[in-house]
Amino acid sequence: MTLAEGVQLVSTIILSVMMIGAAIGVVLLSNIVYSAFLLGGVFISMAGLYLLLNADFVATAQVLIYVGAVNVLILFAIMLVNKRQDFAPMPKAWVRRGATAMVCAGLFALLSTMVLATPWSFSTTVPSSAGAIKAIGRHFFTDFLLPFELASVLLLMALVGAVILARREFIPESAVTDLQATPLTLPERPRELVPVGGTPSQEESK
Amino acid sequence: MDFASLAAQLNTGVIAPELIVIGTLLLVLVGDLIVGRTASTRWTPYIAIAGLLVSVGALYFQWDATDTVSFLGSFNGDALSIVFRGIIALSAAVTILMSVRYIEQSGTALAEFIVILLTATVGGMFLSGADELVMIFVSLETLSISSYLLTGYTKRDPRSNEAALKYLLIGASSSAIFLYGLSLLYGLSGGQTQLGQIADTIAATGLDQSIGLVIALVFVIAGIAFKIAAVPFHQWTPDVYEGSPTPVVAFLSVGSKAAGFALAVRLLVTAFPLLNDQWRFVLTALAILSMILGNVVALAQTSMKRMLAYSSIGQAGFVMIGLVIGTDAGYSAMLFYLLVYLFMNLGAFTCVILFSLRTGTDQISEYAGLYQKDPLLTLALSVCLLSLGGIPPLAGFFGKIYLFWAGWQAGAYGLVLLGLVTSVISIYYYIRVVKMMVVKEPHEMSDVVKNYPAPNWNLVGMRPLQVGLIVSLIATSLAGILSNPLFNLVNGAVEKTPILQAAIAARKSVATDLKLQKAPRLTVSSLK
Repeated sequence: MTLAEGVQLVSTIILSVMMIGAAIGVVLLSNIVYSAFLLGGVFISMAGLYLLLNADFVATAQVLIYVGAVNVLILFAIMLVNKRQDFAPMPKAWVRRGATAMVCAGLFALLSTMVLATPWSFSTTVPSSAGAIKAIGRHFFTDFLLPFELASVLLLMALVGAVILARREFIPESAVTDLQATPLTLPERPRELVPVGGTPSQEESK
Repeated sequence: MDFASLAAQLNTGVIAPELIVIGTLLLVLVGDLIVGRTASTRWTPYIAIAGLLVSVGALYFQWDATDTVSFLGSFNGDALSIVFRGIIALSAAVTILMSVRYIEQSGTALAEFIVILLTATVGGMFLSGADELVMIFVSLETLSISSYLLTGYTKRDPRSNEAALKYLLIGASSSAIFLYGLSLLYGLSGGQTQLGQIADTIAATGLDQSIGLVIALVFVIAGIAFKIAAVPFHQWTPDVYEGSPTPVVAFLSVGSKAAGFALAVRLLVTAFPLLNDQWRFVLTALAILSMILGNVVALAQTSMKRMLAYSSIGQAGFVMIGLVIGTDAGYSAMLFYLLVYLFMNLGAFTCVILFSLRTGTDQISEYAGLYQKDPLLTLALSVCLLSLGGIPPLAGFFGKIYLFWAGWQAGAYGLVLLGLVTSVISIYYYIRVVKMMVVKEPHEMSDVVKNYPAPNWNLVGMRPLQVGLIVSLIATSLAGILSNPLFNLVNGAVEKTPILQAAIAARKSVATDLKLQKAPRLTVSSLK
């Protein structure tokens, strides 16, 4: 074993232990802020594994998107909600925990048997970190062109959907009276209409 | 590869119907921004419906196309996908017809609803023809994420919020499981993403009996079964169907389900020919469970939407019979049933929407005596429900008899008998509603029916609802008797689809091999 291989092996082990430890922490800790920070640790160690696999573009994207955007967003959401809630301990909680642990252990055993028993067919192309970005770009504009373009429709719709979910509904007063005058009703969907004129005081109080 | 040759290889014409829908979507979105909400309500639904119908017309012109592979193998617009894409586009068009008044009355914006619905349609249409792992996943997510948004669209209703959150969480975990299965396929085939090449590589490397392939199959089926709401992956269905806006439920139960079936056919037939018996076995189990649980639990429901939710689980079980037997007749019976199911289920949902718009409830007991006040609604709902139950001479009867006949021909006697028994159970709960509406005397009328407002079709958005009601009523009553064009369509679709023909031929040769092997054994045992 040369020095390079030794370094690679040791770093793989360290990164894997970091990732598994952090992932277990995410699931088991009861404080959600700790879980969110540990999730960032999981993403960082995963980026390290990508680096060891010569995929430096994927590693960069992993850090930028998952740690920089997704994880920060999760932390923002937790801090905006800012609600300390202590859950009352459930009676016989250990039964559920035991069952969950057994299911997880069984699934883990099954999947590790599968990984070890399967003779994987490895890709023969030599991984090169230098041309990776070029190769990814070429794929995006040749054989993965259609999913790449469809993803833009998906993102546009996600944008519209996020705006719909986040905005406050203002219904003009005239429309309110107009709607209520119709003989048709829809009481199965209760709605509190927010008239245009009546909100500034609420806005200020917030 | 220079630009001109790349553009020629892409064969963009195949996805013209989807491009039309995307264009319509952008038109609605930008038009609504320009003219404002009140002005846009008048024309956006009709533009959307026109776009969807033009898209169906474009599909018709592709029927005889021979060069169906486009985007270097990402998308395969063969005849099978054309039928599925047509079903999804039509279901979206009928859904828009029934949603105009509903969205108006729930006080939310109509144009955005239509935009998200059209995006879901685009996702479903691409999913029907997706022939490559990345394309399958992206289009599946386009369909799923827009479905979550539609489910939570009436955001001031806490039940809609709850439904959206449940759907999102269960859907995300099922997507993750599905993606794990896809990644196993990618690994097993040494980095192939096209379904046909995956199957070839796995067969060439002799991995066909490896445990990895079986686990990939199980995970992939779990993802698909979530989409078609097959038992035991159905837990989200009743709550989501009860909480979300009713037009969305109609789309989820027809359009989204059809997309799931399209994915099931293409992925299982193309990528798992080596595990043919295994996936048929798993799907048989799912079909049996869906038929029994869906139909039996529907008996106990008091809410109309929940009853239709469980009945749609049972109906998915019937459709899976056609998929499991895997013969020519089986696949075409499946397509025929989905076509018929489109009209009868959407018709039933249109009636439920109309009733809840006028009375504000969807309890089954509140339908008592409706015949006296609104004969048209009673007629349409009765015809659609009886057709769902399979009463001759309505369309559903012919759909079911074709399915069961195909199953009997293929020797799936147990499945067909179970299908017959559960159909009888389903007739009971459908007829219960019809009886509630028709048989009750005037003094047994429920309070909401006593206060039933006089039908007024001139309000905003009521005309489209009426058109949707009449169209689905006519289609449900006549599609059975005049079913010849539909039969020609589905038979042609199966005959013209190379992947299905290859699968059927492979299955036939296996069956004859088995017969040859079995024959001597039989004589030996009879001698003894």
